[in-house]
Parts: sequence; C-alpha cells; structure tokens
Amino acid sequence: MSMLRQTVKPVSVVVIISMLFVVVPYQSCLAALIGTETVIETARGHEARQQVKQILDREEIRKALRAQGVSAQEAKARVDALSDAEAVRLVEKLDQLPAGGDGLGVVIGAALVVFIVLLITDILGYTDVFTFVKKRHVR
Amino acid sequence: MSVRGPDFGSKPDGWPWGTGRADRIILLLIVHLMLIGCGGAMHRPWVQAGANLPARCQLDSAPFYSQKAFQCGPAALAMAFTWSGVSADPDTLAPEVFTASRKGSLQSAMIGSARRHGRVAYPVSGPQTLLAEVCAGHPVIVLQNLGLSWYPVWHYAVVVGYDANEEIVILHSGVIPYKRVSIKVFERTWARSDHWGLLVLPPARFPATATEDAYISAVLGLEKAGQWQAAVEGYKNALTRWPDNLAAYMGLGNSYYAVGNIESAEGAFRVATHRFPTHGSTFNNLAHVLWKRGKQQAALDAAHRAVELGGPLVSVYRETLEEIQASAYGQRPCR
Repeated sequence: MSMLRQTVKPVSVVVIISMLFVVVPYQSCLAALIGTETVIETARGHEARQQVKQILDREEIRKALRAQGVSAQEAKARVDALSDAEAVRLVEKLDQLPAGGDGLGVVIGAALVVFIVLLITDILGYTDVFTFVKKRHVR
Repeated sequence: MSVRGPDFGSKPDGWPWGTGRADRIILLLIVHLMLIGCGGAMHRPWVQAGANLPARCQLDSAPFYSQKAFQCGPAALAMAFTWSGVSADPDTLAPEVFTASRKGSLQSAMIGSARRHGRVAYPVSGPQTLLAEVCAGHPVIVLQNLGLSWYPVWHYAVVVGYDANEEIVILHSGVIPYKRVSIKVFERTWARSDHWGLLVLPPARFPATATEDAYISAVLGLEKAGQWQAAVEGYKNALTRWPDNLAAYMGLGNSYYAVGNIESAEGAFRVATHRFPTHGSTFNNLAHVLWKRGKQQAALDAAHRAVELGGPLVSVYRETLEEIQASAYGQRPCR
C-alpha cells in the first residue's frame, strides 16, 4: 500500500499543479460577464442536486441511509458540497441503475443508490464512510 | 409501413442449389434463423417512427456533390452547406474536416466546421428524428459503417428521403445521387455508429424535432466557434419558442456584447433581470454593460443587487462590484 502511495504521490503533485494553472488565470480578474455556458452548467447542477435530494427523501432510501449511519439531512448537505459537474455525474450514475420492482428489488435498489451517493461523495473527500477509499487524514 | 417478416425459404424448390446436401441445409437454416432474428427486431423502431408521418418524403433542394476517395465527409458537408445557403464545395471544405492520417473526417470536425460557417449543428440520433427531419425538408448527414463492427468502413451520406411502402431510404451517397437503400440495410449500417446524424441549419430555422436544451446547446456551439452574429440569431430564434429560457437571454446579451453591440446587450440583460429577478447572474452582466456604457450609478445598483441575491457565482458578482467601485474612485485594479 505504501508503494502505491509512493507511485501516486508524484502524479498528484502534477495534477495539483495543472489544476492551479486552470484556476489561477480566472482569479486574477474575474469581473467579467457570466458566460452562457456557466449559466447552463449552473442551472443543470442545481437541477441535478434537486433530483438527488428528492431521491434521498424517499422512505426506503432513508432506511438504507440509516443503516449506513447517515441521516438524510447529512446526506443532502454532502450533495450540496458537490460541484455542478459532479452533481450531474452523480445523477447520471443513478440513472444507470436498474429500476427496482418488487419488495426485494426496492431494498437492493435503495442500498445501491445510497452506496453510490456515499461512494461518490467519499471519493471526492466530502465524506468518509468507506474504508477502501484511501485518504490521508489531516486533523 | 408494415412489419413484414422476411420470407426467405418459403419456396425451397426455387433454390438454385441442389437439395440433399444436409450440411448445406443446416448451415442455411442457421443463417435463415439469424436473419429472422435480426430483421424483425430492427425494423420495429422504423415502423413506430413513421407512424405519424407521410408514407414518403423526398427533398429535391439538396444538391449532390460526388466524392473523391475517402472524401465522403467534405462531400456530405458541402451538400448540407449548399442546401443551408452557405456556398461550399468538397475541395474547399476538405482542409477543415479531413484528417489525412485517419483517411477520414471525424464527427467533431464535421460539427466544428458547421459552426465555423455560422450554421447550427444539431444532433439527430435515431429513426424517429431522422424521418421527421427529412419530412420537414431538412437533409440529414448520417455516419454509416459499411463494413463490419470489427472491420469498420466508415462513410458519411446525406439522407434526402424515404419511402415507407417500398421500405427504402434515399441517400446522396458516394458517387450516387438519390441512391435507394433498403431500410433493413440502412438500419444495420447506421446502428453501428449509434445512429449518429447531424443537421446543418441556418440559425433562424428550427429543427423539426428541436428540444429546448439541445437547441440552446447547439446555439452555444456557435458562441464557441466565435460566430457571434449567428449566435445572436440563434438565441433570438430560441426565445420565440422558449421565452422563459434564462440561458438564451444571457447568451443573446453575451453575443451582442461580443459583436460590440453593447446597447442591445444592455437591452437583453435588462429583460433578463425582469424575467429572472432572483438570478444574480442577470444583474451581474447588466452591471457590466451599464458600466461599459458609462452609467456608473445604475451599474453600481445592479452590481449591488447581484451580490445581494448571492448564489454559487457570488464571488464573481463581488468582483464585478469591486471593480465598478474602484473605477468610480479612479482606480483600475484589473487590466
């Protein structure tokens, strides 16, 4: 595992630096028109977040969340922390799930939905539910 | 259109080969079953697609350009361009879309070229939209794989008609104008590109199957290509059908601003603030153009309003406000 971390470290440094290059030019002087694309993406992100929250409000999903020790309120707060693009991707992932039918299907479906929501927020560092998603803890 | 099962094998005595060869017959039976299996299933979407449309449609307004080797992309695009009012021929288009190393034209290059010529590139993605567009008089560029899935021979053609009774589609393809291809064959070759199709339309013309989000995205593509005047027309067109689309107002204002028509940009953003009084982005952009026009007090008010409304882009609104405030005191913190 430490070997993996060693190989990953230089990669993350490169990624961080390249991300800075993406972000920095925009911060120097942001007072400009809001681009049409930004307007569209913001609206889509908002819509996606609403969609996920509606799903999280369903009874069987609340149950499955409780089984993971997360309240629906908390889960929604985590969804709020997602960026627009991330929220859209999350909805796309949830859309790809097979539709649950009868009793057992609904339970498995709910567990899957909760799994994906928590997994994605986990990977992005907003939550810490699954131990197999490795992160360094700064506390 | 009617679903007709293929009637292979109904008259065994008509077969040109001798009977009594058991192995051949078994082989033929297998092929026969495979054909039935495929034929029936892929036919159905076409029948549904044609349900509310005339039995035959053909447009004669799309010209035909014969293609040179590997140049089906430029040829198909030239036909669509000429139809849409852009004078073009395959030779002049080739450098824009043809990738020599791939001996072909990438779909993204086709879309990009349409936008660079100020034309809305609108996606077509299945029999339903294809037939509806053809009947509306719009030629559709389609990508076919004339080879096999594992040995592809990619080819662009232009669909200019169909006849449900004869079960054919009519294509400008390769060196043949008005080529009649059976729907079964066409479906098999088109399905291999996931039913990739493209409309090339003047910005003032709606696709027959236009949906709000897809159309706005298509017009946004014109902005990306720097075709601001065409984008203005596209957004104006979109607003006639979807007058409550925030992105269309913002895009209209932004495109006006880009062509230097700041007065019209102000008008578009002002209407946007009236229609979407809870969206800070509308006030932010209004503030910006007001400031450019020297209306400092009004610009300050709008910028303040944007910051008050907040939202995910509030940091941008704050910078707009700061910049306007700074310029009011004769300082210029930004370039």
